[in-house]
Amino acid sequence: MKMKMADGNSAVLRRNRPGTKAEDWCNWSDEAFEEMDSTLAVQQFIQQAIRKDFTNIEEILTPPEGVEEGVWKYEHLRQFCMELNGLCVKLQTECHPEQCSQMTATEQWIFLCAAHKTPKECPAIDYTRHTLDGAACLLNSNKYFPSRVCIKESSVNKLGSVCRRVYRIFSHAYFHHRTLFDEYENETYLCRRFTKFVTKYNLMSKDNLIVPILEDQNAIDGESEA
Amino acid sequence: MNDGEGPGSQHAGQLGPVSGAMGMMTKQQADDVGQRPQYSMPGILHFLQTEWARFEMERSQWEVERAELQARIAFLQGERKGQENLKQDLVRRIKMLEFALKQERAKYHKLKYGTELNQEDLKPPSLEKKEEDAVDGEVMPSAGNVSWRQGRHLLRQYLQEIGYTDTIIDVRSARVRSLLGLQAHAAESEAEGAQPAIVQMNGEVPSKRAGDQGKASDEDDGLAGEEESEVKHVKKRPKMQNVDNIAMMEDDTETEEALAEFDFLVEEAENGAGEAQSHGDGPEWVQNEKEEWDVDQRLIDRLKDQYKKERKGMKSSLQGGSSIAFPSDSRKQIIGTDPDDESFGEELGELADLTVNNEADQNNYDISSPKEAYRKTWNAKYTLRSHFDGVRSLAFHPVDPVLITASEDHTLKLWNLQKTVPAKKATSLDVEPVYTFRAHIGPVLCLAVNSTGEQCFSGGQDSTIRCWNIPSSNIDPYDSFDQNVLNCTLEGHTNAVWGLSVHSSKMQLLSCSADGTVRLWSPGQKPPLLQSYTAEEDDGAPTSVDFVRCDPSQMVASYSSSNTYIYDIETGKQVLCINTKSASEDGGNNQINCVVNHPTLPVTITAHEDRNIRFFDNTTGKLIHSMVAHLNAVSSLAVDPNGLYLLSGSHDCSIRLWNLDSKTCVQEITAHRKKFEESIHDVAFHPSKPYIASAGADALAKVFV
Repeated sequence: MKMKMADGNSAVLRRNRPGTKAEDWCNWSDEAFEEMDSTLAVQQFIQQAIRKDFTNIEEILTPPEGVEEGVWKYEHLRQFCMELNGLCVKLQTECHPEQCSQMTATEQWIFLCAAHKTPKECPAIDYTRHTLDGAACLLNSNKYFPSRVCIKESSVNKLGSVCRRVYRIFSHAYFHHRTLFDEYENETYLCRRFTKFVTKYNLMSKDNLIVPILEDQNAIDGESEA
Repeated sequence: MNDGEGPGSQHAGQLGPVSGAMGMMTKQQADDVGQRPQYSMPGILHFLQTEWARFEMERSQWEVERAELQARIAFLQGERKGQENLKQDLVRRIKMLEFALKQERAKYHKLKYGTELNQEDLKPPSLEKKEEDAVDGEVMPSAGNVSWRQGRHLLRQYLQEIGYTDTIIDVRSARVRSLLGLQAHAAESEAEGAQPAIVQMNGEVPSKRAGDQGKASDEDDGLAGEEESEVKHVKKRPKMQNVDNIAMMEDDTETEEALAEFDFLVEEAENGAGEAQSHGDGPEWVQNEKEEWDVDQRLIDRLKDQYKKERKGMKSSLQGGSSIAFPSDSRKQIIGTDPDDESFGEELGELADLTVNNEADQNNYDISSPKEAYRKTWNAKYTLRSHFDGVRSLAFHPVDPVLITASEDHTLKLWNLQKTVPAKKATSLDVEPVYTFRAHIGPVLCLAVNSTGEQCFSGGQDSTIRCWNIPSSNIDPYDSFDQNVLNCTLEGHTNAVWGLSVHSSKMQLLSCSADGTVRLWSPGQKPPLLQSYTAEEDDGAPTSVDFVRCDPSQMVASYSSSNTYIYDIETGKQVLCINTKSASEDGGNNQINCVVNHPTLPVTITAHEDRNIRFFDNTTGKLIHSMVAHLNAVSSLAVDPNGLYLLSGSHDCSIRLWNLDSKTCVQEITAHRKKFEESIHDVAFHPSKPYIASAGADALAKVFV
């Protein structure tokens, strides 16, 4: 009842007040990007699009007019890292150091954890957590990303390595915890979106995208377009 | 004829010459008789005369002996009677103290639960029976001896119970009086309000001493006076302590508040001084209370010394006049001290230590040091960057410069303010988190740290409450994953958990959820859910919850209907509806975003969507003060642990610091940027260090020093 009232007034007030039910979270009418007067407009816009339809990856990855590409990529990567937390929480219950003592996807590579002074062979779950923590520090670093409105080109170049590292979380989950991965992917479409994102902005080489999900995604896209 | 032998042999030395002469004679005679039995008349007569003289002499000796013994008996009897009187006196004192104790307890009970405690034994102590015993004792010495022994034994037990050894029994009534004197003195040391009681007490005490046989009814009157003054004193003390804080309130609320305060302290006293109390240790207990009531110890000591001197002088003269002159003297001193703000402030500073010693309560600590800190303005010093989305809640460690933040990015992070990374601007330091708590599968909305700083609790949109063992603040941020950091998960809510509050001493947690319920948990117990509280459906969802800090048996919850209720935690019943709804002008969309309770006063403070902060009286539910505090909705509140300052955060991007005395804004800081229409989600005071912090929708948290 309250939310309806809030909706009535919500031309101005987009607010999750205390007491808001989970289903009413951010349950307000969309705001045009031009009308967003906040410095966090890009994040708002991305989150708004995801909330509207998380399966509509094309729309989510379509920047509004007048957004710097660096900022757009940066904000998307923030959002990916944030949502990857959900996958990490799931892995915490299933991916134990005894079983997954190394960060692997296929047998081809053992990934070393870059969070330490000298890269280390962390168990998969530690690799996952350390990588997300490290990404959080880097993406929030006052040195490289002092502003969320304007980002230096040198800093934008950092995004690629972050992408490469966090992608390994997808690949480990896909090859070692498939049920869990599928469950999560169905809830979020995150790996699809990520694959599409890094491909679109050329943040990772195609060889590294070892999770065969883009093909699926293309197939679905093809179907829906047809 | 034993008697005859005793003195005879005893006085053989004295009789020696006589009997010696006699013996010699008889020996001669026997020799004479043995050789030639010859009894001459004069010889026999002489023998009889000397024998008679001997017996006469012995008889007179016995007579003297008897008189001596009789005198001794009389002396011992007198002594016994004296002891009897002393015993009676002591028993009477003990009874008085016991009675006073019962009355006090009845009063506590009445104040605490509002009902009369039916104490069938709450009668003035009667001394008639004892006196009869005494009379009996005089008539029948042997029986008296037994009862005397019993009495003495009883007395010894009493004294041992109250912590005195046998030696006290030898101490005469002067000692008793000095004990009593202390008590009377304690009553004196209070403010002018109870002046008649004081005079009465002082008139009473010397008369008791002089007569030493005061009637039971008199004693009771004296006690009642004493008690009343005690209670009055109690009422007065918090008012003095918080005189500025309450200045804004009406008179009647003042009294009730003070009473409630008393209530709270009674609880403390029951916990802390419980032992002393149950043993009826009157004087010591009173002294303890004095400390709790924050009386200046120096003043008391000074008065005590003076009183003792007076007492000595009085003892010799035993005149009431001097004792009456005395209290007025002492009162002058008190009057001289009280209105003097400066010295009172000094006293408070010293008293703060006392408070710390007496109360284990987390909220109490030295008043003087933060006061110092508040004089300067707060400046942003640490910026906590690491969250990917809005920070919904934050909480400080009770002691260390450590805090935890909870964010919409589904994580919580632990920050050690001593581990900083150099930032571009020299004025502000960046902090990197030392630990990230992951378990929630949605935004984390609320957070609370327990009083030991060992555990924290977080409530999320995923309906769960997670209990975490806080890792060491010196942990390596890239240490291996420890499953034990997540202690347990409290499941029961069926929708987003929006508010948490931790009990300051018990291991209890309150939570409020969008499912419409407020719940009480005891994490670690099985099952952890203790109680569930629901309001009318019209009230919507609870938005915020807090323990009533000065009455641990109550909690306060605000609802999206903009109603606020105080619940009894035990019964789950609504005790009081706080007039928050009628206080707000536009009834519709004026929900309360945050409700907090003053740490020491029975005052509830609410943060409203209509930009107001409102203050309510917990006892009447009436509005005390309302102020437009921000340019936009007020989202969060925090009261500093001393109850002197209020911090508010608003979606107008600023945090404001308020002086609770004058209800004026001391400082405003623009702290965070907007995301949608939200800006600041939470504010906090460090419980023991001069830090304040704000949590923003811009994914940052800031700490000010």
